[in-house]
Amino acid sequence: MSQELLEYHNVLLKSIFTEAIVDQQEPVKIDQVVSDFDNVMFHISTPESKTKILLSIVLKSWPDLEKYGAKELLKAEYEGFVTETEVGYNFSLLVDLENLPCSTLEDRTLLVDKLSLLKRNAMAAPFELAFQQFDEMSKEAQQFEIGSYTPTDAQTEVMAIKYRDEETIYIQPNWDRVTIIFSTGFKDETDQVLGKVFLQEFVDARRRALQNAPQVMFSKEPPLEVQRAGFNGQLRPDQSFITFVLFPQHIIPQRRERAISHIQTFRDYFHFHIKSSKAFVHSRMRHRTGEFLKVLNRAKPENLEKSTRKI
Amino acid sequence: MNTTPAVVMDNGTGLTKLGFAGNDSPSFILPTAIATNEDSTRSRRTSPSYVIGEEALARADGQNYSLSYPIRHGQIENWDQMERFWESSIFKYLRCEPEDHRFLLTEPPLNAPENREMTAEIMFETFNCAGLYIAVQAVLALAASWTSPKVVGQPLTGTVIDSGDGVTHVIAVAEGYVIGSSIKHIPIAGRDITSFIQTMLRDRGEKDTSLRTAERIKQEYCYVCPDIVTEFKRYDQDVTRFKKYEAEQNAGKVVTVDVGYERFMAPEIFFSPEIATPDYLTPLPEVVDNVVQSSPIDVRKGLYKNIVLSGGSTMFKDFGRRLQRDVKHLVDQRLRQYEQQAGVKSSGVEVQVVSHKRQRSAVWFGGSLMAQTPEFKNYCYSKQDYDEYGPGIVRQFSLMNVG
Amino acid sequence: MPVQHSVFNDFPDVRLIGNFAVLPLRTKYRGPAYQTSEYDIVDEVVDLFRVNSFFRNFEIKGAADRTLVYGILFVNECLNNLRQSPNHHQAQKTLNVLASDDFAIPGEPAFPLNGIYLAPAAGIEADTLRQYLSQFRQELAERLLSYVYALDTSAPSKNWMAFSRKRFMGLSLAAR
Repeated sequence: MSQELLEYHNVLLKSIFTEAIVDQQEPVKIDQVVSDFDNVMFHISTPESKTKILLSIVLKSWPDLEKYGAKELLKAEYEGFVTETEVGYNFSLLVDLENLPCSTLEDRTLLVDKLSLLKRNAMAAPFELAFQQFDEMSKEAQQFEIGSYTPTDAQTEVMAIKYRDEETIYIQPNWDRVTIIFSTGFKDETDQVLGKVFLQEFVDARRRALQNAPQVMFSKEPPLEVQRAGFNGQLRPDQSFITFVLFPQHIIPQRRERAISHIQTFRDYFHFHIKSSKAFVHSRMRHRTGEFLKVLNRAKPENLEKSTRKI
Repeated sequence: MNTTPAVVMDNGTGLTKLGFAGNDSPSFILPTAIATNEDSTRSRRTSPSYVIGEEALARADGQNYSLSYPIRHGQIENWDQMERFWESSIFKYLRCEPEDHRFLLTEPPLNAPENREMTAEIMFETFNCAGLYIAVQAVLALAASWTSPKVVGQPLTGTVIDSGDGVTHVIAVAEGYVIGSSIKHIPIAGRDITSFIQTMLRDRGEKDTSLRTAERIKQEYCYVCPDIVTEFKRYDQDVTRFKKYEAEQNAGKVVTVDVGYERFMAPEIFFSPEIATPDYLTPLPEVVDNVVQSSPIDVRKGLYKNIVLSGGSTMFKDFGRRLQRDVKHLVDQRLRQYEQQAGVKSSGVEVQVVSHKRQRSAVWFGGSLMAQTPEFKNYCYSKQDYDEYGPGIVRQFSLMNVG
Repeated sequence: MPVQHSVFNDFPDVRLIGNFAVLPLRTKYRGPAYQTSEYDIVDEVVDLFRVNSFFRNFEIKGAADRTLVYGILFVNECLNNLRQSPNHHQAQKTLNVLASDDFAIPGEPAFPLNGIYLAPAAGIEADTLRQYLSQFRQELAERLLSYVYALDTSAPSKNWMAFSRKRFMGLSLAAR
């Protein structure tokens, strides 16, 4: 784990499955409920026998994701593992260690990677859908003169994924781009300030050096796409919007997987870095306080005892 | 937010245990170590990169990283490193947004209130965590023992023997409060047992005498025997007591290491410390007895009756039985003396050592039990409380009465 | 569990030479010891050797403890003479020589433990002690070998040989 980026997979799932599938250690009894970013919870357990691992996931944004094909996507991705959904969860997988479909070490490693990316894959559904629509539209557009193609409203429908209490991801496909908008907010005042600095930096960095990066915009007002998605206009003062515009070069098929993973972790990464910065500022403050204390200590009169004795 | 489980973090000198409340065991157990890359070529404005846990130990072999252990003797010594350690724990391991979760942290007995304030400052100001509760490790270890059928009710009085890797503490707790004056530390713990095994392997000229092999032998084969003289004889009569351990060396080479008397001699160092170190001579049962005897007289019965084990180094088979027998022996001896002197018959003192399934991570498990109750949130201080009253608020936490 | 003392400390009417207990032995070797058919000091030495080797502190509580200490140190010396891993037969020869050959008794300048043992009166007492020790050493060596070669007669057991490095009370019988 490098400090710079958050992992896309869940570390615990990966370590449990690595032990069971890659290292093929003696099966053990497992029963853990763990949480992941964005109000996601996993339940990993061995209800029947130690060799049958049941993995269930519950996502706050499941109703939205399901609407955009998450269930079908997961079923295809985890073919052969899908099982009856555990009560209280959205989706369940059953891994039978005695009947693994793969035998080589390489295949087993791939399987572990796939399993530990369950959350990422569930949240990928609307993105996949958007890219699919982008493909269709751009194909259609090729039959038209430049500038004369306008897709229908249905084709460019804005998808909203309410993944946190007061935060939503909006995705809008178009024929020449895919727009992704995060509405985000900070409860803490310090965070608001730092957040703003960061976001401005995102916008400026592209202008200065990273011209190939997706376009990033930052606004306090809800962008048009968001308004189209039925944004109710109730704007909290700490709320702001970050827009990423992915152009065709960002979403060529080889890059899609990565693009989805990156975008998904944006919000957590962003918050993580705000906290990192605060930690850094704090350590500088501690250092400075230490220095001041040293100065103060030097300012103490020496031989205090002697002088009191004279009196 | 009510559905997200509380985060339980038990940061110890050697190991940190991380997980979510409601689970039986922590999700992650990792060394409390952090490796930072203070590369001088980077500009001073960028923060150094760092890694924690096993990875820190691995990175520290290289040149660019310096390794440090932010906790010494149970107390946080380096707050900069600790803040980063927590940050990695929360974001990279537990993968949670601290604003969504309440946190239960643990502290050693007699932790300075200033340390609590520092902890609160970091948890609330850096991480904006939703709520915070700081519990004393020994009290959580007591709570963990409630799962044992031997324990009646949910007593908050008892003697906790907490033995990890570096040091063993014997702590008397009365009604949920640590009796500070009677705490005893014993400089014998897991690390000493491992190195004792290592010495025995070397004396015997085994093919592999690495620390790792000694560690594995400790975990898989060691136990506590009632009497070492008879135990030696039993090995003479029954050859099957000698075991073999397959040690994996570099490049997949496997060598067979014989396992002999260290099976029972290594854990014996708790009961006869003299065999391992010339500097420390008091056996553990005697220390336990001393701790109880130095506590107020009206709680002593409760302390003898509920001696609770916690930590990996108390996991040896029959550790509790031997301890109970030896403490009982000391107590009975004293009672007989008293009876002779006073000429009165004593009603006897019950001595009970409680072992249970969750002993290895007892402190963490106790935290998980407490933090999963619906009442937990009432005992936490929230971010709003903190903002209103300041860090001083965490000097006092009310004791959780989990019914 | 503390260091172990000799059970013979409590025996009444123990013969003493200097402050060394001349305890009965169960042996076919000839010498001044009284014969016994019961658990004897040699059994005890073999039993306690491994336990006590771990300890450095030992408070002598009776004359029999001195015999025990001498026995333990002798076992250690025996093991040190088996370092070349001889087979059972060779080991018997080596230890036979070690046990009965010239050795120092308490009071002689070559004896390394004169701090603990009193010198016997010269003449008959010293001769008796020497004969007793010789008898004791031979019996002890023989019984020790039956343990050390119990499983494998081609080489000494490494479980026993490991103790050759230990120094009970930090002492050794080998001449300094």
